[in-house]
Amino acid sequence: MIKLDRGLLLNFDWTLFILIAGITFIGLLNIYSACLSISTLGQTPYYIKQIQWIIIGFVGMTIAFFIDYRFLVRHAYIIHGIAILLLFVVLIAGNAARGSQRWIALGSFTFQPSELVKLTIILSLAKYFDAHQLSRGYRLNELLIPFLLTIAPFLLILKQPDLGTGLILLIIFSAIVLFVGMDYKSLLITAAGGLIMIPVVWHFLKGYQKERIFTFFSPENDPLGAGYHIIQSMIAIGSGGFWGKGYLKGTQTQLRFLPEQQTDFVFSVFAEEWGFMGGLVLLLLFFYLIIWGLKIMLHSKDYSGALLSFGITMLILSEVCINIGMVLGILPVVGIPLPFMSYGGSSLLVLMTASGILMSVSVRKFLLQP
Amino acid sequence: MLKLGNRLDVYEPGQLKQKFGVLLIIVSVVLTFLALRLWYLQVINGDDFRQRSENNSLRLRKIKPLRGLIMDRNRKMLTENRPSFDILFIPDKTRDIKKSIEKINRFYSLKSLELNNNLSITGKLKPFVPVTIERNTTIEKVAVVEIHSLELPGVVTEITPVRQYLYGEATAQIIGFTGEVTRRDIEQDITESLSAGDYIGKFGIEKSLDAYLRGKSGSEQVEINATGKIVRSLGKIPPESGENVVLNIDLELQKTAWEAVGDRGGAVVALNPQNGEVLTLISSPSFDPNIFTGELSPVEWEKLSKDPQHPMENRAIAGQYPPGSTYKPIVAAAALETGTITPEKNIYCNGAFEFGNRIFHDWKKEGHGEISLHRAIVESCDVYFYNLGKMLGVDTIAEYAKRFGLGAPTGIDLPREKSGLAPTRQWKKDRFNAPWHAGETIPLSIGQGFNLVTPLQLANAYAALANGGILYRPRIVKQIESPDGSILKSFPPVKTGLLPVSSTNITLINKGLWGVVNERGGTGNLLKRPQQDICGKTGTAQVISLPQNAKERKMKIMTEETNDHALFVCFAPCENPEIVIAVILENAGHGGSAAAPVAKKMLDVYFSRKTKPPERSPSQGAAGAHEAQKQ
Repeated sequence: MIKLDRGLLLNFDWTLFILIAGITFIGLLNIYSACLSISTLGQTPYYIKQIQWIIIGFVGMTIAFFIDYRFLVRHAYIIHGIAILLLFVVLIAGNAARGSQRWIALGSFTFQPSELVKLTIILSLAKYFDAHQLSRGYRLNELLIPFLLTIAPFLLILKQPDLGTGLILLIIFSAIVLFVGMDYKSLLITAAGGLIMIPVVWHFLKGYQKERIFTFFSPENDPLGAGYHIIQSMIAIGSGGFWGKGYLKGTQTQLRFLPEQQTDFVFSVFAEEWGFMGGLVLLLLFFYLIIWGLKIMLHSKDYSGALLSFGITMLILSEVCINIGMVLGILPVVGIPLPFMSYGGSSLLVLMTASGILMSVSVRKFLLQP
Repeated sequence: MLKLGNRLDVYEPGQLKQKFGVLLIIVSVVLTFLALRLWYLQVINGDDFRQRSENNSLRLRKIKPLRGLIMDRNRKMLTENRPSFDILFIPDKTRDIKKSIEKINRFYSLKSLELNNNLSITGKLKPFVPVTIERNTTIEKVAVVEIHSLELPGVVTEITPVRQYLYGEATAQIIGFTGEVTRRDIEQDITESLSAGDYIGKFGIEKSLDAYLRGKSGSEQVEINATGKIVRSLGKIPPESGENVVLNIDLELQKTAWEAVGDRGGAVVALNPQNGEVLTLISSPSFDPNIFTGELSPVEWEKLSKDPQHPMENRAIAGQYPPGSTYKPIVAAAALETGTITPEKNIYCNGAFEFGNRIFHDWKKEGHGEISLHRAIVESCDVYFYNLGKMLGVDTIAEYAKRFGLGAPTGIDLPREKSGLAPTRQWKKDRFNAPWHAGETIPLSIGQGFNLVTPLQLANAYAALANGGILYRPRIVKQIESPDGSILKSFPPVKTGLLPVSSTNITLINKGLWGVVNERGGTGNLLKRPQQDICGKTGTAQVISLPQNAKERKMKIMTEETNDHALFVCFAPCENPEIVIAVILENAGHGGSAAAPVAKKMLDVYFSRKTKPPERSPSQGAAGAHEAQKQ
């Protein structure tokens, strides 16, 4: 499973590593600023906790790098099964604690299994499509197992309820299915089915989720609830101007007008203090990271590696787009973290482990026998 | 291996070039779109937004929810939420809290009021995080601050709900109290909904059901002026009240018991033997939970926590006492079930029992003479039970005690329950690394020695005798209801065990307990009433072991701390019992004279309240028949 090979170090993907380390470091500086004004009552400050999580994430990354990704793919269903089991545990524990619960407590740390599922679903889909390669598009019946692999954790996550994470699972599933190719007729049927499903889904949305969607279309009508968040976020970003207000000097941030400013709204904090230039640099860093992930996919020695790198890159892309789109006021408010930037250990750990897998695919293009 | 060979592997590196190209275009378009939006907000509309951020006077204010109410089984309120006036300071770069406090003091002194403040300001204050200057203060002081509000920038008044405990000390150990969250509370809170300044349950039901009682904070968007005062409200999300908790406790019985115990130390437990509902649970001395709602001074806290009487310990579930003679029915059950004794067999009691070189005395110096099991229970003959103990041995007694629920927590829905002790040979070996001496079994058989029970265990064991042999888990909480009255969660009876005693033998023992109250010479005659429907058992537990020598015994001066504990356990009516009461009074003397009156007062209240006074003929049923035969 783990073979220590000189080749692993000689061919190490430094570009990828530096990109991720860079974005994570910017994120850490940003969390420090975001939490400067938050009363922690003597608790460990968020930035210290984030450092602890970065260290844990680095360990995850290292382990994922040294493991042959084909080993992970081979055992993908078991890993995915464990993640789904953890979702069950959370659901049962959540019922006991009343209300929405997404965490499993590990000492003073808490872990969200729903974050883990984002990665295990990629592994499972990679396993399935690697084992069932076709030269034509997939038909609906051939997509039943991938669909079940996705829908099981999706429903559990929706029950938590965590709409954002559920959405990411659907995006990953759709992206991978479109990537491997779908039979035209099947694609048409799915699209038609999807349109019919919209009113059904709407019926099952919770009140506050519907509200958010309404609010998105007319934020000024609800200046208190979700609309308040979007307006304050847009004020923060907009007031940053071209050059920004300077590090630790964002008034919207420091006076705590921003909601969730260390988690979902970190980009607003960053854009307020670093302005358009800072925001653009960050977007370019993400752009470079995503393109690099796609290049790893292109050069992968085998299909499972290509599928893995595609899935992981899509995970990062979709989270970046939804999160930034949300704080810029062009997408509804759903709780999705900004990769490597938002405070939150589970997301960081899973993304860093996913990056380790990307590095593992990247380095093994030189090592694997075709 | 075979499988791998069969697999259709059509992938070749580089074949994804076309897809890569498409993806590159998609990613570029999407991210460019985001960058354009950023440009639109920051560069095109930047000045406009900058203006808005500088004029930003909108705040989100947290509105505290009303905590759920706690009520007794008849829906009588035990708690309420009363408005409290708080004076707060909102820090800002331009304001100094010390100067503000000086000013407040000056304004107060004009009206000869005094600032009641033990706030210590350490370090830098976080901007816009309110600091409480005075909590739960008077309306006069609020008026003073409001009148001078222009001279006191950053000082605001707020009305928040605070908890009031209507029956104070009488229900303190059950209900507990709330307090301001600490750092640890916030760290351990899994729901992550707590923030500084919130109140949460810290003790008792308030703590164990906090998640239900807490409710959900609301928020209000307000516009504030330069001094931090609210100019207008722009809309709000109302807070959600917490859920209400209905207890099984019967307030009237609880109050009766509390008054009957008075200033003596001890505990009273009343249960419904048919389902384990806890009707009364008293622990004395107690404390006033209302002192925790205001600013509790360190002196007060010190006084409460260091009190040698431990008023915060719930003696009903955590006080461990030797059961004394109330233990005898359990020894009797063990003897009957193992065939060690038959109800007909008499034992002669001359007032003392010799074992080895020790003499164990009976409480009645001259002895009870020839005595059967029934009369041994009625008169509480010690020598009879010394004999049983000697025949049974420690481990058999312990086995039965454990089946009666002793030596292990009952599982009541209150925290910090103790398990008591049903000693065995193995226990002594583990605890003291010493063998069991046969002589130690003798005091054990009358509930002395190493034996320890909690008042709740005692009540629960007798509840099982009363209902024919079923042990229930005692339950304080009946149900949890939403504010609109719908039941969210109810707690049904839970059976935790069956007594290892045949119904014939249970009836036999219960006849004895009936005799204690209703027969001539019974130790619990005080409770006898015309209906003759109460069964009970007295107990007097020695606190220290008395010197063997009778002379020395007399010489020993009895101080109050070494007085015996008085115990009394009873259930009524004997047929289909509805209530079991266990009373323990510390250092109060004899069970029959000190503890039984407490139970009597409770039973008087219980029966007088019944709409139709019971008119059951006393000669009906087993116990009645027995009485007829006796007289």
